[in-house]
Amino acid sequence: MMETPEITIALVLNELEELSFVATRDLKTAMPSIEPFGVATTAAWAATGRDLFLFDRDAGKAFLRASPGLAGATGEVESWTGQARGFLGLRGSWKALTAYLAQFAEAHAVFGAGGALEWGEAGLGLARAHLESAEVYFSLPPARLADARGLAGLREIIEPLRALQVARGLPAGLALPGALDVRAAFGAAAVAPWATRGADILRAGRLRGESFFRLEGKDSEEALLAALPGLRTQEQERFLGLFVHAVFGASPPLRPLGLRLGARPFVETDGLTLFVPAAFPDAEEALAALLHHAGHLAFGSYETGRVHALFREMGMTHPPLDDNQNVTWRPLFAAFGDDMARFQLLFDLLEDFRIDARIQARLPNHVPRLLALAGQAPAGRVRPYFEAAVESLEMLVGRRPLISPWSELIAADADILTAFRLARVWYETNTWPAVGSAERLDAYLPGRSPNTQRPVYPRAGILGREAPEEVQDGQGAPATQAPAAKTEREASGGEDPDLEIPPEDTSGSGGRVGVGRPQPAASSRRLRQHRPGQPAGAAYPEWDYREKAYRRDWAHVQERALTETDAGCAQDLLLQHAGLLRRLRRAVQAEKPQRPIPLRRQLEGEDLDLDAAVAYVADRHSGMQPPASVYRQRRPLARDTGVLLLADLSTSIMQQSADGNGRVVDRLKAALLLFAVTLEEIGDPYAIAGFASKYRDAVSYYPIKPFDERLTAHQRAVLGGLSGRLATRMGAAIRHACMHLGRAGTGRRLLLILSDGRPADYDDGGDERYLHEDTRMAIKEAADRGIHAFCVTLDPGGGAYLERIFGRGHYLVIDQLNELPSRLPQIYLRLRDR
Amino acid sequence: MKNLIDRLRGVERDIVQQPEARGPYYEPQGNEIRVFEAAWRKRLPVMLKGPTGCGKTRFLEHMAHRLGRPLVSVSCHEDLTSADLVGRFLLEGESTVWQDGPLTRAVKAGAICYLDEIVEARTDSTVIIHPLTDHRRRLPLEKRGLEIEAHEDFLLVISYNPGYQTVLKDLKPSTKQRFVAISFQYPDADTEARIVRTEVGDLEDDVARRLVAIATQARALKDHGLDEASSTRSLVYAGSLIMAGLSPLEAGEAALVSPITDDLDLAHALREIIKAHFSA
Repeated sequence: MMETPEITIALVLNELEELSFVATRDLKTAMPSIEPFGVATTAAWAATGRDLFLFDRDAGKAFLRASPGLAGATGEVESWTGQARGFLGLRGSWKALTAYLAQFAEAHAVFGAGGALEWGEAGLGLARAHLESAEVYFSLPPARLADARGLAGLREIIEPLRALQVARGLPAGLALPGALDVRAAFGAAAVAPWATRGADILRAGRLRGESFFRLEGKDSEEALLAALPGLRTQEQERFLGLFVHAVFGASPPLRPLGLRLGARPFVETDGLTLFVPAAFPDAEEALAALLHHAGHLAFGSYETGRVHALFREMGMTHPPLDDNQNVTWRPLFAAFGDDMARFQLLFDLLEDFRIDARIQARLPNHVPRLLALAGQAPAGRVRPYFEAAVESLEMLVGRRPLISPWSELIAADADILTAFRLARVWYETNTWPAVGSAERLDAYLPGRSPNTQRPVYPRAGILGREAPEEVQDGQGAPATQAPAAKTEREASGGEDPDLEIPPEDTSGSGGRVGVGRPQPAASSRRLRQHRPGQPAGAAYPEWDYREKAYRRDWAHVQERALTETDAGCAQDLLLQHAGLLRRLRRAVQAEKPQRPIPLRRQLEGEDLDLDAAVAYVADRHSGMQPPASVYRQRRPLARDTGVLLLADLSTSIMQQSADGNGRVVDRLKAALLLFAVTLEEIGDPYAIAGFASKYRDAVSYYPIKPFDERLTAHQRAVLGGLSGRLATRMGAAIRHACMHLGRAGTGRRLLLILSDGRPADYDDGGDERYLHEDTRMAIKEAADRGIHAFCVTLDPGGGAYLERIFGRGHYLVIDQLNELPSRLPQIYLRLRDR
Repeated sequence: MKNLIDRLRGVERDIVQQPEARGPYYEPQGNEIRVFEAAWRKRLPVMLKGPTGCGKTRFLEHMAHRLGRPLVSVSCHEDLTSADLVGRFLLEGESTVWQDGPLTRAVKAGAICYLDEIVEARTDSTVIIHPLTDHRRRLPLEKRGLEIEAHEDFLLVISYNPGYQTVLKDLKPSTKQRFVAISFQYPDADTEARIVRTEVGDLEDDVARRLVAIATQARALKDHGLDEASSTRSLVYAGSLIMAGLSPLEAGEAALVSPITDDLDLAHALREIIKAHFSA
């Protein structure tokens, strides 16, 4: 018997009535909306509803309930009814079906009738492989999938994911939401490589993979940075910094902000540093933004005095500071309550104008560039703010007459307080619409950003332009007093003598004469004997000037390793001196042995040495037979110099430097690092060692870098972690160093001693001459061995005793501690060329 | 007219240059003319300090003309020996003859002798000027076994660029302190614009000012990768290129960017600065 549609409908109703009251009711409720499409259609629809219900109650109910709406929205029934049947057989698919039904109307609108079916089919394809993927897929708004490009947009995002699902078992649903963000930020081409990378990471670890696809964590950031379009700040950091430097004469350090997909590239600042987004859409926006924000720093938006003035204006005596001594802005705006965003916008609008006007005075294309970047004003309540910003900039380039209040901000004495006051006036007029805090971001022109995003360090004239208005009671001083004494005690490992002596011996001036407790006279025979517990080390004689004789095996030198390292400090110091290093490198390259230098009076060569030739002819005429060395030749001069830099590591280097700028040891570290790096560049063999002493039987010699190794990261870190300890028994250290130099195997040997005070030890008994004389003898011994010794001292009074020890012209007093890092490598180069 | 003919032909000129009728253009920056004249009256040797291309040589040409003294200029280089300055024996037929070097000629003729970039010369050549710079005012000619008493109008002038290769090359303090020093800086913006305009001839004032603004900003990059900042001379070059028909950006690239750096980032930054002043 043929089943007519009417019979089918009746059968379905019958069947459902037996099974479920709710389902029957749902069917009857929906039926009137479907019936206009014809009885056959209605029958097919009802049968589908029943089948889905029989397969999965929730699926059936969802179908029946969604039907009236879908029929109304799409104007047809067959397509989605037919496609819904695709979910039959997919166990547990009701969630996906519900989502499908909920979005079909939108898909129909976005993709058209045929497109909606393809959209559904794509989802079903995902569902057959991985049901949850389909749930995710169907729950995403079709418009997002299409990205305004219809089916093409859908295909370009789904196809790579489906391919990966097949090839690598990547659940498409896991990657899909992130893929949409990636496409929105970087374009469709970035999706496939990004997802492929994610699939690999997912294989390596489920959690890592999942966080990758959530666009979280390091893996994700790396992959995204690699795909980042536009100008990547990291790559262009130097260029941007140089450009800002040229304009303002100084440039604040740049730090990257984390990757923020889809967010506008706002620059933030804490008053010292500019925090820059990972990328800008293009170079123009990057330049505009960098200039604008460096302008804020240069023209005093965050200057101490002015920040204080702002808070005073609002009746607060003192800006509130957070734990890092930063000014927190919120209390400044608290008075504006819910309307805070509106006030902040006005304040920023005026202050940004003030800054851009001043930049424009230096850089005539700044405002034109901002205007070119501005583009279309955003719709909505922020529009007037955006338009006001554009109009005000147009006044700056003469496209509009300059009117108040903008004109007041151009005045030479206008500052952030002017902007603040004008903003309050504007705020009161109520002509500006209220804005939500989310949409307010759209009010900023490209290149500008909210100015009070971060707490700031109030500073006097960040870029050294404007003089500070006033200095408040000590607020400007950073509360980070370096814990100077702490590291000193744990400086070196093993049986270092500084671990067993009371702190009063290690502090102070390192056993310098006349300081600290009275000590037994070293030069007397009453000196204690070699301590039994002490490792013997290498024994050296010491010169006793009163006896005019050596004391045999008197001083004992032990080699110890410095275990304290600070790679970060080394890195910072090298960065800090990057400019100097570059100049040194260049100078060194110019001096490299490869460079030919002219040699005169050669037996052969490319050029005639005129003077030699004349002398030759004259000699010949006078009957002599001179050698025919009449040529000039250019050839690389081989240099054969080895240098050992011996640094005094006594306690006194931990002192604050005389100019009050940090400790002596900081410059010392920088000097040694630059010396090492420069010598690596030169290629001459060199070694670095330090020394300190406590009593004659415990002279510590710290080899830091030996002759036969390239400079390692560890050695750099040791230099970065140097600290001072104990006293200065220089003679013994020099003798030991000479032993090392003797092994260097170079023709010329140079011992460069870096000290900050006179030779002294705890047991010299206040007779400073004793160790002086011994050191002088040690230098003589060195000279006898063909070692040239030269002393660089930081002791301004060094001239009084160094000439006697090292001889005239064999020492140098550097009283400008700042110069040490640049001078030390230069001194070496000069000495070498002597 | 004579000038014009000289320009057209490769004319051999004596190293002792007699002052010409029209002196070179010079724009004073400060009291340098008064200091130089005072030093001249007392015949004290003069050291001109200042960065490359800031007008040291031009100043001296101007002063020589102003004082009506002949000028002997020697550009020092690393191969310059004392014989190159003082003189040497040459062969002539069967015998040797002595030929005076430029310094000796200046000493005899009472000229102003200008040793440009003296640090470049070998140390032995810097030492021979010592006896000329103190009360003795004598030039020893070691090879001939005699000394020359300097002409009463002789004046020694050296130039010295302190920022220049100070890492390795520097004048010995004993040499430096024998001189009266005049420090030059790049001129202030108005003066520099005037100089550029005058030197180029017919350059629009606005263009000259823009060039100066570029240089001011580019000079901030000295020691941040730039060893030598954009000089007044390079601005004159840029201006001349603009007058010769190049666009300001092209001229800037050719005169203000490429010559002073090979560093890509730095060149990029300089280019942006030029763009900033010429594209608006």
